[in-house]
Order: sequence, then structure tokens, then C-alpha cells
Amino acid sequence: MINPYYLQIASFILINILLGLSIYITLCTGQLSLGSAGFMSIGAYTSALLTVKLGLPIPLGLLAGGLLAAVMGLLIGLPTLRLTGVYLAIATLGFGEVVRVVFINWESLTSGAVGIAGIPHLGRTILARLQAAGFSPESWGLKNNEFISLTVFLILLFLTLLTLLFFSRLLNSRVGRAFQAIRMDEKAAEAMGIHTTYYKILTFVQGAALAGFAGALFAHVTGYISPADFTYHRAVEILVFAVFGGSEVLWGPVFGAGFLTLMPELLRGLSEYRYFIYGTILVVLMIFRPQGVIDRPLLNRLRGRRNEGKDAA
Amino acid sequence: MFFEQLINGITLGSIYAIVALGYTLVFGVLDIINMAHGEIFMFGAFIGMLLISRFEAPVLVALGGAILVTAAMGFLLERLALRPLRGRRGVSPLASLISTIGVSIFLENLAHHLFGAGNKPFPTSFGDIQFTIGPVNIYLVQIIILAISILLMVGLSTWLSKAKAGKALRATAENLETASLLGINTDRIITSTVVVASSMGGIAGVLVGMAFNYVNNQMGLPMGLKGLAIIIMGGMGSVNGAMAGGLILGLSETFMVAYGHSGYRDAIAFIAIIVILLIRPQGLFGQSLSAERKA
Repeated sequence: MINPYYLQIASFILINILLGLSIYITLCTGQLSLGSAGFMSIGAYTSALLTVKLGLPIPLGLLAGGLLAAVMGLLIGLPTLRLTGVYLAIATLGFGEVVRVVFINWESLTSGAVGIAGIPHLGRTILARLQAAGFSPESWGLKNNEFISLTVFLILLFLTLLTLLFFSRLLNSRVGRAFQAIRMDEKAAEAMGIHTTYYKILTFVQGAALAGFAGALFAHVTGYISPADFTYHRAVEILVFAVFGGSEVLWGPVFGAGFLTLMPELLRGLSEYRYFIYGTILVVLMIFRPQGVIDRPLLNRLRGRRNEGKDAA
Repeated sequence: MFFEQLINGITLGSIYAIVALGYTLVFGVLDIINMAHGEIFMFGAFIGMLLISRFEAPVLVALGGAILVTAAMGFLLERLALRPLRGRRGVSPLASLISTIGVSIFLENLAHHLFGAGNKPFPTSFGDIQFTIGPVNIYLVQIIILAISILLMVGLSTWLSKAKAGKALRATAENLETASLLGINTDRIITSTVVVASSMGGIAGVLVGMAFNYVNNQMGLPMGLKGLAIIIMGGMGSVNGAMAGGLILGLSETFMVAYGHSGYRDAIAFIAIIVILLIRPQGLFGQSLSAERKA
């Protein structure tokens, strides 16, 4: 039942959902950021270095990772968000590459292209703590590695649900309606008295913070990071999660990340052609369904059917 | 030493300028950043490499072959990925950006499957020929690259300002609807712009192959990113800006490597973007933001 392999895939799906949401939240005000891999790497490296070199506890590392990514997001966002979306896309793309080049060259701190190994693992650290307190997974009928995978999965599930709750509350608030107005028509929104630059920077910083946080989690789940984990392809992959799943509703990136992470696992033979498929998906979707697989009408139809079922019962 | 670096920088810069011209033409007419341009450039380099190493073709034939293939790719790109999105209501301007990202990912992997991974040598029969003028050594390859790029830039400028099609292109860039009211077949202009821009990418690919003596399927992205950096630096849609920006980037990269930190070479372009966006958002040669659309 508790198979570490399945749990690991599930954990990666959850991390990818967080990453997909980080792009979704920036897209909420119609801004396309291609720097998610860069922010992710800042979060990952911050948390990894703090825990490995300074021995800080993991939760502090995760918070610091998210925070530093948010600060970088603010620094990049302030000058670029006053301009049109295309500039932002290129500036963030450039930012991601600069960050990667810095991590490769700053060898004294980051060990360069070799990467950082031996990052404290989320599950193993918790198990070690519990064992020191006299707990043994066998008392629950679990092997050590099963316990580790299960803890990681549950922690990630909790964090993902928390993030989803936060954003669904946010998007249905005054702030969320301001986001929607800006996305629909920025000039009209401004004329209605919405401080568009403020809200655009807000979504951008939130996206950066979330990507950094997800990156930090990634570091503590895999235990090893290198600049090769955070290339342009990672940024495109994250973009595809949101664009494929649906960039207008919160469930879009959730579905996109889940489906696209599972697909290569289910169809092993296809994984070689994964990027062919990603490329084709992007082009075909932009032609036939630019809003992604899941959009509001589809959600309403699904909800309607559920309600009908309730009425019948 | 200084003069040799200067020549290296100008050679590199003129290749960058040609890549950037491909971006700036498409952006000027369509307001679209063609993210697949770097990959089309890479295909140009591979076609040139195959023609020269397998069939021992002369450089001009290699250039011709690269132009043919990349022009065809530009045509397909416009028909399959750009035209279906054009003129539709409610389509975000980011849709075409995402669509061309899709094409670029596809092409990069197509090259991986067709040509394999790793560096492929790009042999030229005249690679070692060099001249000594006073204290300075110049390679023949550098002269050829410079000659081709100057020819290309002068040709493009003249075509844009004098030829009928060039004028139609500028009119379309100025205002698509008005141009089409005045009897310009804007669809055809747009297609030919993308085709011309792509074949310039193909030419740049062969030139890079000659300059560095190798090609690989990863070379599209960094070159594409530099081209983007240059058009932001020079001003979006500005032809002169693309040329000047290319030279500035080529020179600064060469001197950075010659006198200091080679590892950060690829970062210069992006640091430049961020600085430019802060100080002069419309670029060095760009019009103010409201009137920036000018070819």
C-alpha cells in the first residue's frame, strides 16, 4: 500500500503544483514571468546553504529561501513591471540565466557546476528526531523508508493545501477582483482607481516567494541540487504546467502539474519525447484553447453535474 | 593584442547584430518576440556544417543551403504557429510568445534527435589562413564574416528604405490596418518578414559555425537570449539599434574575456538589459514608449 516510489512521485507532483501556482499567480494580473526557475534556484540554494553550512533547522531554511526569492522578485519586478508584459518576460528570462551563471561561477559558496550534495532530507531529519525521542516506525508497522516517504508526502500535501486555501481566499477577495480587472483591461482598471503597478508587483513577488519556497522544498526532498536543475527548460516546464492545465482558474495549474508529472511516469517509452510533446502542446493549445484544459465553463459544468447528482439523491 | 581583441569583438558583434536583426524585423511588424529564432539560427548552423563536412561544399553553397532551409522553417513557423493566432479577439498578446516558445522547444529536441548531442566540428578549408598587417594578425575567416555581415546590413537597410516591398514592410510595421486599407497585402508582408528574418538567422548560424569551428544543438538558446538582450538594448523594432547593440555586446564580451572574468561572459547581456530597463526603458535608439513601433 505505502510504496515509497508512488509516494515520491506524489511528492514531486505536489512540488510541481506549487511551482505551477507560482506562475499562475503572476499570470493573474496578465504578467508572464519566465524567471520561475531562477527564483526556485534562489530558494533552493539559500535553504541548502543555510542548513548545510550553518546547520540551521530546515523550517528556517525554507522560510529564508522563500523570503530571499521574494526580495529578489521585488528588485526585478520594480523596474520591469512598469513596462509591457514582453519586457517582463525577457527580463525574467535573463534574470534566470544570470542567477544560474552566478551559481556556476561562485564556486567558493556553491561548489559551482558540481552542485551541493548532502542537504538534510526532510523525512530523514524528522525520523532521526523521532527516533532520538524513542519512537520507532515499526510500532506503526512501517519500514524506515516507508515512514520517510510518507512524512514527506504528508508535509507537502499539507503545505500545498494551505497554499491552495490561501490563494482561493485571496482571489475571491477585493485584492483578487483587482487582479482580474487588471488582467481583463489594465487601462480600464487603472481608470477605476486600481493601483495597477502595486497589484502587479504584489502578484509577481508572491509568485517569486512561492517558487523560492517550492525550490527550498525541492532541495530538502532530493537532497542534492546543482545549477543544471534550474535551467531555462525548468522555467518552460513550469510554464507548461500552468498553460496546459489552465491559466484562468486555480485548479488549472493543479491539474496541469499533476497530469504532466504523471504522464512520463505512466508512459515510460514516451519520456524521451517529452519535450517534443511539451512544444506541440504549447503551440496547439495557443491555437485551439489558449485558456488551457480547465476553464471556468468546464468547472461550472462539473459543479452543475455534481449538484444535479445531489438533487437526485 | 588590443587591436586583435578589437577585431575579435567586431566580428562577434556583427554576428550578434545579424541575429538581433531577425528579432527586430519580426517585432517591428508583428509586435511578437519570436522565441524560436535562436533554434532556427541553430538549424542554419547545422545545415551549413552538414553541407561543408559531408559534401565538401564551398562556403557560398553552405550559406545558400542554410538560407533555403531556414526560410522554409520561417514560412512554416508563420503559417502553423503565428497566423492562426492573428486577428482573433480575446487572445492575450502573450499567446504568440508562448506559442513560439513551444516551437523552440520542439526544434531543439528535433535537432537533438536528427543531429545528436555534443559538439560537431565545423571545418573550413581556410580556417588557418591569416594575414599580418604591422603588429596585428587577422584571420581570413574574420574578414569573410565581416564582409558578409556588412553586405547583409547595408542590403537590409537599403531594401527597407528604397525597395517597394521594404516600404510596404515599414508601412505595415507603422500600422497594420491602415497599411491594409492602402492596398498592401499585409498577410504576404508578414509572411515574407518572418521568412527574411529566419533566413538571416540561418546566415548567422553559418557565420557562427565558421567563427567557432563547432556547432551543437544547445547553441540556439544562449544566442537567442543575447539577440533579445540586444534588441532591448538597442530599442525594440529599431534596425540601427540592433546593429549598434550587437557591436556593443560583442566588444564588451570580448574585452571581458580578454581582461578578466570569462565565466561571467554570458551574464553581461542580461546585466545590460536590467540596467537599460532601469535607466532608459525604450533602449538606446528606441523612440519614446508611445511611439516605439517603427522599423
